[in-house]
Amino acid sequence: MEYIVTIIILVGLFVILAASFDLIIGYCGLISIAHPIFYAIGAYTSAMLAKEAGVPVPLAMLIGAGAALVSSILVALPSLRVSGDYLLIASIGFQLGLIELAKHFHEIGGAGGLTNIPPFLIREVGREAYAVLVVVIAALTVWFVRWMATGPYGRMMSALRDDELAFSMLGRNAIWVKVSVFGIGSAIAGLAGGLYAHYFRFIEPDQFGLLASSAVLTMVVVGGMRTTWGPVVGAIVLQLLPQAITFFGLPPSVLGPLQGIMFTGLVLVFMFMRPQGLVAASDLWRGREGGARHD
Amino acid sequence: MTDWTLSRRTGLKAAVAFGALMLASGGVSAQQPTLKFGLAMPLTGGQALYGNDQVKAAQWAVDEINKKGGINGKKLEMVLLDTQADPQVGIQAVNRLVSVEKVPVFVTAWSGVVKAVAPIANDNKVVELSVGAASPDIAKLGDYVYTTFPLADVDIKAVANYSVKDMGKKRAAVLFINNETGIPAAAVYRDTVAKAGGQIVASESYDQKATDFTGPLLKIRAANPEIVHLQGLVSESPQVIAQARQLGINVPITSYSGIYNPKLIEQLGAAAEGVIATSLAPGVGDLPAVKEYVDRWQKEVGRAPNGLPYTQYLYDAPVMIAAVFSSMDKKGLPMTGENFRKEMLALKTFDLPLTGKLQMSEDHTVNKPVYLVEVKNGKWTTKAIVGQ
Repeated sequence: MEYIVTIIILVGLFVILAASFDLIIGYCGLISIAHPIFYAIGAYTSAMLAKEAGVPVPLAMLIGAGAALVSSILVALPSLRVSGDYLLIASIGFQLGLIELAKHFHEIGGAGGLTNIPPFLIREVGREAYAVLVVVIAALTVWFVRWMATGPYGRMMSALRDDELAFSMLGRNAIWVKVSVFGIGSAIAGLAGGLYAHYFRFIEPDQFGLLASSAVLTMVVVGGMRTTWGPVVGAIVLQLLPQAITFFGLPPSVLGPLQGIMFTGLVLVFMFMRPQGLVAASDLWRGREGGARHD
Repeated sequence: MTDWTLSRRTGLKAAVAFGALMLASGGVSAQQPTLKFGLAMPLTGGQALYGNDQVKAAQWAVDEINKKGGINGKKLEMVLLDTQADPQVGIQAVNRLVSVEKVPVFVTAWSGVVKAVAPIANDNKVVELSVGAASPDIAKLGDYVYTTFPLADVDIKAVANYSVKDMGKKRAAVLFINNETGIPAAAVYRDTVAKAGGQIVASESYDQKATDFTGPLLKIRAANPEIVHLQGLVSESPQVIAQARQLGINVPITSYSGIYNPKLIEQLGAAAEGVIATSLAPGVGDLPAVKEYVDRWQKEVGRAPNGLPYTQYLYDAPVMIAAVFSSMDKKGLPMTGENFRKEMLALKTFDLPLTGKLQMSEDHTVNKPVYLVEVKNGKWTTKAIVGQ
């Protein structure tokens, strides 16, 4: 059933995006909503390498993730040296600027988008195999984010988020922690981009804009920030809900507005009813051993 | 969860079919399966204004076909899904049409969606009919992707040929917006003029966000052309024309279907006189059926449809699909995408109520007459019909 396989793949990709975004915005407290641009960089790099240079797809995807890593560090380094909301401004500028630029490069398809991206696994093994690959990578991402957040790195992120000054006073390098977390999260998004490109085989600059940013942000907020399962639940709910309501046979005059207000409605409901999201995070940092620690 | 809703839906369908069976009377037998096609259009989001009107047109056509007895007594059913004009949402909608509803053919529009769903059509051997998207690369998307709407190069070629051959303007200049709309179309214009025996004396572009066009216009004036072709968007084109006239460029200005719009005349007033645009569908004055159709909009909805020519094409899409279904049904062919494609290419020519004759060709493009319209005495009037 291609329909269900495709939904599983989309849910998986959004779990990867939401979990890696949670690492940046939730655990590390870095205010940036430009996550989809690194998804785009991964998608475009991987697609162009496989299409034009004949690079094997898995290698192309990894290079795509690498490209996202490098570009995210280049954005983060100058903007994270100063404190406050500069990362937000710099990253949005980078996101919108790059999308605008991509629209004018005809070598990568311009505003019309990049078509005929080589497929991967679908022909040789089948769509189900691709879904398994995406689900495995999604599970690894969730596990990796949890591993980072509950280990020594997690304690650093937690301390940094709560009080950067105190963190620096302890002799820790705040910039290094921030840049590395931003880079790792963005690289994971880049890998997701490669996975998207070689299954759907068409990408266009506009799909990685602010609408995509708000979708990923909504998933993390509705699911629950700074939790292992929050982004997973958020991605599943927000991907399946719009699909589910189309099955009830509602007339387009009802269906249209319903889909339109669903996302904003959900965010509003959660803001008032459950600001901590579906899965609530504890206030204290919890290590891998379980109990809260006050060290 | 999906399985549950699926079985629920199937149950619902069975109930509906049962009810219909009870009520069945006359020629239409409910035991016969309905013939389904898919329609994936933006029903929400920024493009919904156009999408909904196009869907309404398609629905009218389906109702009309069924009122007249359907397809050899079988009912034509349209399965409608929302794309939001967004590639990713479009992919989900089309996957649903192909793998859940199992349609042999589906209609969709908006270049991004048309391109994004092309692999699904090709992999599953289901025909994708693009109705309204004009990007020239739609012709190269694969064996199962066809368009019933002439792609961008058709009207540009027509207007370029007409300028050189019929109007006798050998020295042409082209001014275009520096984006997807302008660049490829300007290239088509230059090539066509050169092939027709004309000469391009200037080719200038302006930035998407420009509000002052003096620089490129002065260069064009210095080249002393006999005709100027403008390939811009509906938003800035009136300003470009106004500035060209102020700078003393008084030669005829041609453009394409993008500026064929009553607003242009409102904004430009006398400066609009002599501007030539194109339309890819017959207008109210060209075909009585179009007049009836527009009157129906006025009567039932109380306004003219948004993007009239596009709704005309959407009205005609089910008519064309019904013709192919009818022929497949008579031959007893299974309703698969493969058979639909074969039969569609075998029939080749379709006489459609609101857009005239449609000819499918092997290279995935369609040839349509192009209506050249000119502003005369403050009104768009048909100047010539250029057959391909």
